[in-house]
Amino acid sequence: MSWTDGAFTVSLVGVGGQGVLRAAAIVAHAAVSAGFDVKSSEIKGMSQRGGSVLSTVRFGAKVLSPVAGKADLVIATELLEGLRGLPLLARGGTLICDTSARIPPGAVLRREQEYPESLAAAAAANGVRLIALDADSLAREAGNPRTANSALLGAASALLPFSDDDWQHGLMSSVPPKTLESNMRALRLGRETSNQEASL
Amino acid sequence: MQPQLMSGNEAIAHGAVRAGGGFACGYPGTPSTEIVETAAKLEGIHAQWCVNEKVAMETAVGASLAGTRTVVTMKHVGLNVAMDPFMAVSLAGVNAGLVVVSADDPGMHSSQNEQDNRTLARFAKIPLLEPSDSQEAYDFMAEAFALSEEFDTPVMLRTTTRVSHGRGLVAAREPIAVEPRPYERQISKYVMVPANAKGRNHRALERLQELRARSEASALNVIEPGTMDFGIITSGVAYEYAKEAFPEAWILKLGFSNPLPYAKVLEFYGHVSKVAVVEELDPFIEEQVRAMGLPVIGKEAIPAEGELDQATVYRALAPHLAGGPAPRGPVSVPEPAQLAMAPEVDAKDLPVLPVRPPVLCPGCPHRGVFSTLRKRRMVPMGDIGCYTLGALAPLLALDTSLCMGASIGMMAGFNKALGRKAAVGVIGDSTFFHSGITALLDARYNEVEGLVVILDNRTTAMTGQQGHPGTGIHPDGSDGPAIDIVRVCLGIGVRCSTADVADYKALDKLIKDEIKTPGLGVIVVQSPCILLARPEKRTVEVVAENCNMCGLCLAIGCPAIAPGDDFISILENCIGCGLCADICNRAAILIEPAVAV
Repeated sequence: MSWTDGAFTVSLVGVGGQGVLRAAAIVAHAAVSAGFDVKSSEIKGMSQRGGSVLSTVRFGAKVLSPVAGKADLVIATELLEGLRGLPLLARGGTLICDTSARIPPGAVLRREQEYPESLAAAAAANGVRLIALDADSLAREAGNPRTANSALLGAASALLPFSDDDWQHGLMSSVPPKTLESNMRALRLGRETSNQEASL
Repeated sequence: MQPQLMSGNEAIAHGAVRAGGGFACGYPGTPSTEIVETAAKLEGIHAQWCVNEKVAMETAVGASLAGTRTVVTMKHVGLNVAMDPFMAVSLAGVNAGLVVVSADDPGMHSSQNEQDNRTLARFAKIPLLEPSDSQEAYDFMAEAFALSEEFDTPVMLRTTTRVSHGRGLVAAREPIAVEPRPYERQISKYVMVPANAKGRNHRALERLQELRARSEASALNVIEPGTMDFGIITSGVAYEYAKEAFPEAWILKLGFSNPLPYAKVLEFYGHVSKVAVVEELDPFIEEQVRAMGLPVIGKEAIPAEGELDQATVYRALAPHLAGGPAPRGPVSVPEPAQLAMAPEVDAKDLPVLPVRPPVLCPGCPHRGVFSTLRKRRMVPMGDIGCYTLGALAPLLALDTSLCMGASIGMMAGFNKALGRKAAVGVIGDSTFFHSGITALLDARYNEVEGLVVILDNRTTAMTGQQGHPGTGIHPDGSDGPAIDIVRVCLGIGVRCSTADVADYKALDKLIKDEIKTPGLGVIVVQSPCILLARPEKRTVEVVAENCNMCGLCLAIGCPAIAPGDDFISILENCIGCGLCADICNRAAILIEPAVAV
């Protein structure tokens, strides 16, 4: 599905407190800036307390449902949540994942379960294109360790029809004005890294 | 102005102000909370939190009688609390427009049930509007106020999580000028004694017929022509799913779904030979259509639990489109590929993934209370708030959680029935003010042997840090008088003491002593929510040679403690609350002393 003949669906997944809802708001506002109809949906409440978080943004000429059975692109701010997000994708979809972020849930801390490491294999077995980033390093390189999510959005920007102006609009809706520049730097670094990976 | 991206809740607040709304009140509850929060930021409307939904409903009726267009908001189960005034105001009617927003939670993302409150609009014989997205949430507020005043009735605007917390573009409309409606004394209308209520009840039944005629003609109830011999009757967000799953079907979209427009339904059946009702949760529309004697595909195909989405609707109805009575025209079923739902990843080779349930934050003061309560042989009766998470592993520190305020009454009944102090009630500060306070009065009156622990974290934490009577904080951030829980308890004549989780040993001893003391006692644990207090981070160190991995500290379920082979480790997300150091009996965890203030 592309943005010319229907709604394109981006799902953002991660752990409560990682800024997933804010990252989704940035995508939604960038899509508005690019002239698309936009709907998004998120779950608040219980899930904010360190639980799994899912937010969905859909854009296109005209968007009906705020949710979708399947996403075209999944952005994961944490490795385990990236694996959990894999079945959200349509075959041939793309998963962008911060593989440097690992937040073990209680059952792993208590050694009742293993933290899974097999993201690349699972993505390959399911026909999903994986773009794995070390978003923390990119954020530090951008000069602001709190811009890891912008680096992930940068990788997504290589796939989405939004200009840098649109992304700037998106960021302005959600980040403190004085961090706008470092967030844009992280976004560009994320895009460059993702482009390099794609050309390999 | 360019259309703005808004959540349904933000759109309801903006739509209320645009339509001359001047008063918004409610009690916080997911997914309704942001309506009052947004209204508090807007000009021209007063916004306030009320102590519970019943008081909010009564406050709203008062504001309407005073002549101000009013919106009162609550989650679906909140309306249960407000049912008494809700049913009565249906008969009494209103002065200025009164809109009751019921935000339902199909799928129970953050609720104890998924009741479908459309039934309660029908039960109360009042009009029901169901917006399907943010723009409609904005627009429908004007229609709701107008219907309320024209038909002298409260109006229910029912949203669901996907409408309230979904975002979409909202185009602002011209503000609506509202004529003043000064209060008029009308004892026969506003005093619901039997003699008056009989007349008002008769009027409510007549009103229902008039409302049905309006619903037949309403622009909110539209027939959208299709190109296939298949029709779908739908409302709310389910409309979006149905339209996306079957773009070629005829659709009867009911934005004004109670009273059901019978003639419009019959007209719709004239266009197609096969009709399905697509609605989330109960067969609310379906059963009324069946009662009209019309054949319909309903809950035998569409799930009656949880949320729908376009793929679910497609999969549920596609099999019903093949076979059956011969259609009068060509039936074309869209390819699933059009739904962004297939070909899909079938999660092949995915390992079994560890679940990630919500947990109490590192440093959360509730954890210390649960840790000491667990050591007592008491049945812990819980309540609703963040602290409900204390029921989950590994804490397993609460045996019950029923509804807002239930802990104290359940404790009272349990202890009375057994004739001894067997249960302890555990309740938060906001929940205590909501409906725990009346149960405490009752426990005192009935001379209950018992203990109540009030977790006074100085906020309504679970719904996102709203103020309440104990803090005096209003939704616009301003301060008012704060009510002291201890003085409330003492005023009732209940023994009351205070504790702080920071002094864990004193708390532990206080609970132990209080359990042994005859009569009814309250312990108010005055430890603020960690998200509110944001204390200075203190360093915690593990003395490896002292740790024998006994598991005492692991049992408090702190996400900042991890076991190792020989000793535990403290993770980066530790904020240094020191509870684990207090609990360790081998001096294996050392905490940097708190800076004296």
